[in-house]
Amino acid sequence: MTTTMDKTASAGHSTKRPLIEKLNVFTAFGLGIILAVVCYVLAVKFIPEDTDSMLIHTKHDQVVLLAMIGWFVGFMVGIGALIGPFRWLLGKDLTHDENMFYAGKDLGVKRYFRYTTDHKVVGIQYLVITMVIFGVGGILAMLIRTNLGNPEGGWIHPQAYNAIVGIHGIIMIVGTIIMITGPFGNFVMPIMIGARDMAFPRLNALSFWLIVAAIPPILSSFFLGGIMTGWTAYEPLASESPAGMDGYIMFICIFALSTMVAGANITATVVRMRARGMTWNRTPIFIYGVVASVALALPAFPVFFLSQIMSAFDRAMGTTFYNPAGGGSGWLYENLFWLMGHPEVYVILIPAIAALMEMAPVFTRRPLFSFNVAVMGIAGICGLSALVWAHHMYMSGWAPLLNGPFMLTTELISIPTGMLFFVLVGTLWRGRLWLTVPMASIYALLWNFMIGGITGIYLSDVPADGTLHGTMFVTAHFHYTLMGAGLTGAIASISYWFPKMTGRMLDRRLSWVSFWMVQIGFNVAFTGMFLVGLAGQPRRVETYNAMFNQGNMITTGGAYVIMAGMLVLLFAVIDSWRNGIKASDNPWFAKTLEWSVPTPVPLENFATLPVVTTDAYGYGKAKS
Amino acid sequence: MVDTQTQNKAPWWKRKDVKETATLWVILSVLIGGVAGEVISRSLGAPASETMANTIRMMKIFTWVAAPVAGLVGAIGLKSLMQKRHTGDTPPAESDHQIANSPKAAAVWIVISGLLCLFALVFGMIVMQEDAKSLQAANAIHINVTGQQWLWNFDYPDNAGVRSHDLYLPVDRPVIFDVSAKDVKHSFWIVQMGVKVDANPGYITQTAVTPNKIGVFDVRCAELCGLLHAYMQSQVHVVSQADYDAWIKSQGGRA
Repeated sequence: MTTTMDKTASAGHSTKRPLIEKLNVFTAFGLGIILAVVCYVLAVKFIPEDTDSMLIHTKHDQVVLLAMIGWFVGFMVGIGALIGPFRWLLGKDLTHDENMFYAGKDLGVKRYFRYTTDHKVVGIQYLVITMVIFGVGGILAMLIRTNLGNPEGGWIHPQAYNAIVGIHGIIMIVGTIIMITGPFGNFVMPIMIGARDMAFPRLNALSFWLIVAAIPPILSSFFLGGIMTGWTAYEPLASESPAGMDGYIMFICIFALSTMVAGANITATVVRMRARGMTWNRTPIFIYGVVASVALALPAFPVFFLSQIMSAFDRAMGTTFYNPAGGGSGWLYENLFWLMGHPEVYVILIPAIAALMEMAPVFTRRPLFSFNVAVMGIAGICGLSALVWAHHMYMSGWAPLLNGPFMLTTELISIPTGMLFFVLVGTLWRGRLWLTVPMASIYALLWNFMIGGITGIYLSDVPADGTLHGTMFVTAHFHYTLMGAGLTGAIASISYWFPKMTGRMLDRRLSWVSFWMVQIGFNVAFTGMFLVGLAGQPRRVETYNAMFNQGNMITTGGAYVIMAGMLVLLFAVIDSWRNGIKASDNPWFAKTLEWSVPTPVPLENFATLPVVTTDAYGYGKAKS
Repeated sequence: MVDTQTQNKAPWWKRKDVKETATLWVILSVLIGGVAGEVISRSLGAPASETMANTIRMMKIFTWVAAPVAGLVGAIGLKSLMQKRHTGDTPPAESDHQIANSPKAAAVWIVISGLLCLFALVFGMIVMQEDAKSLQAANAIHINVTGQQWLWNFDYPDNAGVRSHDLYLPVDRPVIFDVSAKDVKHSFWIVQMGVKVDANPGYITQTAVTPNKIGVFDVRCAELCGLLHAYMQSQVHVVSQADYDAWIKSQGGRA
C-alpha cells in the first residue's frame, strides 16, 4: 500500500487517490445497503397498492425484489466491477499501472478485500467463502438433526424448520459446487497448466464477488418468512411461500451468473492457455475434472436462471407459467429445475474425483493407471448427465411412458462412473502407499462413493423408486455422493495444496483426527438415515412415527461427531495458516507444474513460461 | 485389472498376491451381499402387495449382483493397503513397476459393467410390466384420491357420495387410484404396498395396486407440501370383500 501511495505522491497527484483505489468490500456493502434502502422506499411509495379484485397480490414481492436488485447493483458498483466496462464505454482502457493495481501488486493483505484479479488471490477468497458457506450450512444441519433427535422434536416451529431445511439444502449445494473449482480451480489450475493467469482475470474477480453479493439475499430470507419448499422450490408451493422465496430467487439468479462467468473463463483458459507442449495427452487429469465441471455447468445454469426468473414473474407480475389455474404447469418447473439439477451433481462430483485421481499417483509413486479411461469416464459422465434429468420425476406422473428411456440413460451412467473406480483401484494396485490424509481420502472416496453409487442403482430402477422416492433413503444417498465422495475430495485437496497456497503444512495430527471423526461420524449418521428411509420415513419432515426413533437417534449422534470433526479441521486450517511448519516448494515430490514454482507463488507465476515434454505421471522404476 | 510383470515367469493368475486378492474378493462379496441384502429386506418390512414383494426381491437381487463389484474394489484396495505402506515426511521409493495402462483389463471391465447395466435395465422393465397389470385389470375398482393441505380425501366413484379420510380397500382386488390435488403438489404413497404417485393440482395421475394382505397400513405424503407436511398421514384398512361391502353400506353407498 505504502509503495502505491509513494508512487502517486511522487507523480504529483497530491494526496487525492483515484477512485479505483478507494473501492473495496466496505464501500461495496455500504453502497449496496444504501441502494437497497433507496429502492425499498421508492417502491413502497410509488408502486400502486394491491386491490381486492386482483387475482394475486404482488406489491410485497415487487418491493422485496426491487430492494434486492438495488442491493445487487449497489454492491457491484461499490466493489468496482463496473470500472473496466465504464472505461470501455468511454473508448479507453485501464492503464498498465491500474491493471497491476487490480492484480494486487504490493497491496499485501488488502488485496483480499478488493476486486483483485490475480487468480491466486481469487483462489484464497473462494476458499474462505466456501468455508463460510459450509459453516452456515453446517449450523443449519445441526439445527435440523437436533430437532429430529426425538420424535416429539418440535422445539423449532414447523415454518422455521422448513426454512432451515430449504436453506441448508441450497446453500450446501452452492458450497459444494464451488468447493473445488473455486479455490483450487482458481489457485492451482492456471499454474498447473503453465499460465500466468486466467484468460479473463477481471471476469475471475467478477465471478467471486457475485457469490459474495448473492449471500445476503438468501440469508435475508430467514427474516422474510423463510422458504417452505426445500431446496428444489417446487411450484406451486413456491408461489404460496412468503417473501423469503424472493431471497431464494435472487440468490439463484446471482449465483447462476457467477457460475456462467466462471465457466466461460475457466473453459477458455484451459483450452487456450496451456503451456507449450502440454498436449491433451499430457494435461493433468485434475484439469480435465475442472473443465468438465464448469463446461457442464455452462448449459445447466442458464436453465436454472430462467426457471427462477419465471418464478419471479409468477410472484411479482401475476404471470402463470407454473400456475395450473392460468394454464401453467408445475411439471414445467420440475423439468427446468432438474435439467439443471442432475448435471449439477456431476458438476460437484467430477472435480472432487479428479482431484483425488491427481493425488493417487503422487501417493502411490506409480503412474496414473489408464489415463485414457479416466478421460473417457469423465467425458461419458458429462455426456450422459444431460440426458437423465427426468429420473427425479419417475413418480411425478409427468410422463410415465418416458420412465423406461430415462431408466436406460440413468443406468448407463454407471459405466463411465465405473471407469473412474477402475482408474483409482488400478493405481492403488501394487503401489507403495504413502499414508497421508489425501491417500486415506482415496480409500474414503472408494468406500463412500461405492455405497452412494449402488444405492443410486436402486433409485434408478422405477419399481424400487416407487418405494424409495421422497424418503430419507434418497437424502442418505445423495449425502453419500455429494458429501462422502465430494467433500472428502475437497478436504483432501486442502491438505494436498495447502503448502502451495499458504507456504505451510497443514497440521498432520489434527488433520488425521479430523479425517477419522468426519468419516466415522458420516458413515454412522447416514447408515441410520438409510435404515429409516427403507422403513418409510419421508424426507423433510419435522416429526416422525415412534418406529423411526432409533435410526434418527443414530443419525443425530453421527451428525454431532461430524460437527466436532469439522471444527477440528477448521482449527487446524486457521492454526496451521498462521503458525504451521514451513513447507518446501514441493513437499510431496510431485511432478505437476504447480510444484515447480516457488512458494509463495510470485505475481504472474512463472519468470519464463515452461515447456512441457512428458505427462506428469512419470513415477515408478524403469522396467529392467 | 492385473498387470503382468515381465520378470515373472508364472502366469498372472498363479501369482501369490493375485490369489490372495481373489480369496479376499470372494469373502468380501459374500459378506457384502449377505449383510446388505438382509438389512434391506428387514428394513423394508413385510410387503402388503405383490408390487412391494417384487420390489423387495429385486432390491435383494441387485444387491447380490452389485456385491462382487464392491467386493473386487474392496479386495484390491485392501490388498494394496496390506502390501507396501510408508509413513513419514518424505515419499517412499518409486514403485516397482510403471505400467500405465492395460487395454485388456479396461475392455473386460467396461464390457462387464455394460452387461450388468443391461441386466438391471431388462429386469427393471420386466418388473415394471408386471406391476402395471393392476392398471389394466378389468375388475379393478377406482378410487379418486385428492390431496389438500394437509390431509387426504378418498372418494369412491362406484358409490357416489362416499368419501373418507382413511382408505378402505377389499383384499385381492386390483385398485386404480386417480390422484389429484387441490392446492399444491403432494405425493400419494402407500408405504407397505410400494406404490407412489404425485398429486398435481389441475391434473390427474394414476397408479394401481392389488393389496394381498388384510390389515392396517400407512399412507404418507412424500412431497414437501408446506407447514404440516409431516402430519399428512392416514391409514389404509384392507378388509375382506364382505367387510368392505358392509363398510360401503354404512357410509351410505350401495354394496
